[in-house]
Amino acid sequence: MIAITKSYAGEPIKLANFAAKKLLPLSGISRARVQNQPRTDMKILVCIKQVTDQESRLTVNPEKTWADYGENASYWINRYDEHAVEEALQIREKISSAVIDIVSIGPARVKTAIKRCMEMGADQGFHLRYDCEDYLSPSLKSRLIAEFCQARAYDLILTGVMSEDMMSGQTGPMTAARLGIPSAASVMKLEVDLEKECLQVERELDAGHRCLMELKLPALASVQSGLNRPRYPSLSNVMRAKNTEIIEISCADSLPAAEYETVEKIQEAGSDRAGIRLQGTTAEKAAALWQLLHEKSLL
Amino acid sequence: MSHSIMIMCEQNDGRILPVTDELLACAARIAGCYHSRITAVLPGNITDADAISGVELLVINSPGLAEYTGEGWEKTAILAAGEIKPDIIIIAHTSTGYDYAPRVAARLDGSCITSVSGIEISEGDISYRRGGFHGKLDLLYRAGQRPLIITVLPGAFAPYDQSAAPGMVRYIDTDIHPANISNVHFSSSDQSNTELEHAEVIIAAGKGIGKAENLEMIREMASCFKRSAIAGSRVACDNRWIEYNAQVGLTGKKVAPLLYVACGISGSAQHLAGMKDSKTVVSINRDPEAAIFRHSDICIVEELEKFIPEFIREAEKHRV
Repeated sequence: MIAITKSYAGEPIKLANFAAKKLLPLSGISRARVQNQPRTDMKILVCIKQVTDQESRLTVNPEKTWADYGENASYWINRYDEHAVEEALQIREKISSAVIDIVSIGPARVKTAIKRCMEMGADQGFHLRYDCEDYLSPSLKSRLIAEFCQARAYDLILTGVMSEDMMSGQTGPMTAARLGIPSAASVMKLEVDLEKECLQVERELDAGHRCLMELKLPALASVQSGLNRPRYPSLSNVMRAKNTEIIEISCADSLPAAEYETVEKIQEAGSDRAGIRLQGTTAEKAAALWQLLHEKSLL
Repeated sequence: MSHSIMIMCEQNDGRILPVTDELLACAARIAGCYHSRITAVLPGNITDADAISGVELLVINSPGLAEYTGEGWEKTAILAAGEIKPDIIIIAHTSTGYDYAPRVAARLDGSCITSVSGIEISEGDISYRRGGFHGKLDLLYRAGQRPLIITVLPGAFAPYDQSAAPGMVRYIDTDIHPANISNVHFSSSDQSNTELEHAEVIIAAGKGIGKAENLEMIREMASCFKRSAIAGSRVACDNRWIEYNAQVGLTGKKVAPLLYVACGISGSAQHLAGMKDSKTVVSINRDPEAAIFRHSDICIVEELEKFIPEFIREAEKHRV
């Protein structure tokens, strides 16, 4: 059991207590319902990561085991996850009783990203607080999220296909595997069919090929960018988000005792070409480029 | 106990795909360090699999494995891992690989490193290299608890030279059926783009162009060259600045023109996979630390909106 504590109204609550309140067995997280009656409600979780602007300056730590972006970095929602949030909102436009929760792991700054999702229209935000900025294995992240999900009976979990900065693409599928539910990665299109209790997805394969299939609910889909256009927050949602508290669950000193892969060393990315940097004014560089390409008979 | 490596063959309709040779090359390098036994696993519904030189091929057969499903492949890998007891499982970082590999890692509660671009051996131990922090830095990982599951980027390892004696093929008949995934259909849209496929010069736009209006200057720059075409990164296509049939990268087109000009493209591993075989690469980016500069012959740190019009003027000057 992962012992996560939740600091809520001043009184820390172990996440295990969340599980104790559960109404249903852990195997299969879908909820009980009146037999032969199609469901009209739906509980959606979107897992998001906060990432930095890719142009922010990086500093590698003295041990050369991790890098950080410093205090002036600007953070935002991982682009792929933002598409996942939008997709959840579009599902709720069709299934109006659907509820959308957001979850994210990280230090205090992560709340800004969660808040932004709520401003886009998500209902509730959960912050799995973890203050260390060093490498956190996706295996551990997926265990924390799976533990969080256990008692909460989500029908559908959405996330981005990967993060923009680390591009591992592991946390989503791993979370699904730990919950024992099906998943599909790199989803370009999805549709919930409540009558059939399934999720129809279209996965992007290589070179323009697609794969269509049905996943039994509950299911997880990690979405590709480009499947929708994320909306801007509306004024009414901004006002509502202002008055909705983000629930913080602390996982500071209680990560599972497992030794997954570690980052041993960070080094400058290797270079496989000459990398000549043109110098001078803009006009001089333009002239130099023309000359170089001309010499190669490309112009 | 001896060290053991399991590779998952990449296949289509029962035929082993060439990327499998790259996985074997990766396995052979690791085996050189740990003196490992290598077993290749082929999921499918196959009776006449071709042997692979120097390694044992384990064919996991089931009617339910006739086509790829994440669930089917996950179950196959778990079953095979039970037989082989691998220390390391190697899977291709393809649209199938990244769909099920992390699931296998979670099910076996092993370590997992995806999109590995190389391995480094020092003092009898292995580090696994992959790009991180928007591709700006290389990260060297160490395996943690076993098994270690890695996915290897296509093109990262030169294909394994199959010169050793053919290996043994062993079949295991099973009844693996995906229970939670059904109605699987494959489709392909017409993504042909003759202009791009035949272009000698490609001017590619990325996130850095900022808005659709700036596409005009990309087109104008392309018109400075003969047999040229425009293309885009994933972000440029997602923003609908460029058609998806002109997307260059792992999930788009693979191109190898005489000249590739990357305009405002950061240079993720996903994009590089689509253009790294270009003869000459020129990059224009305002971020001096952009990853693309490490994979370019000529680097220009400039604002696109300033530099490109300047270059077009320069080209026009020489035309008269």
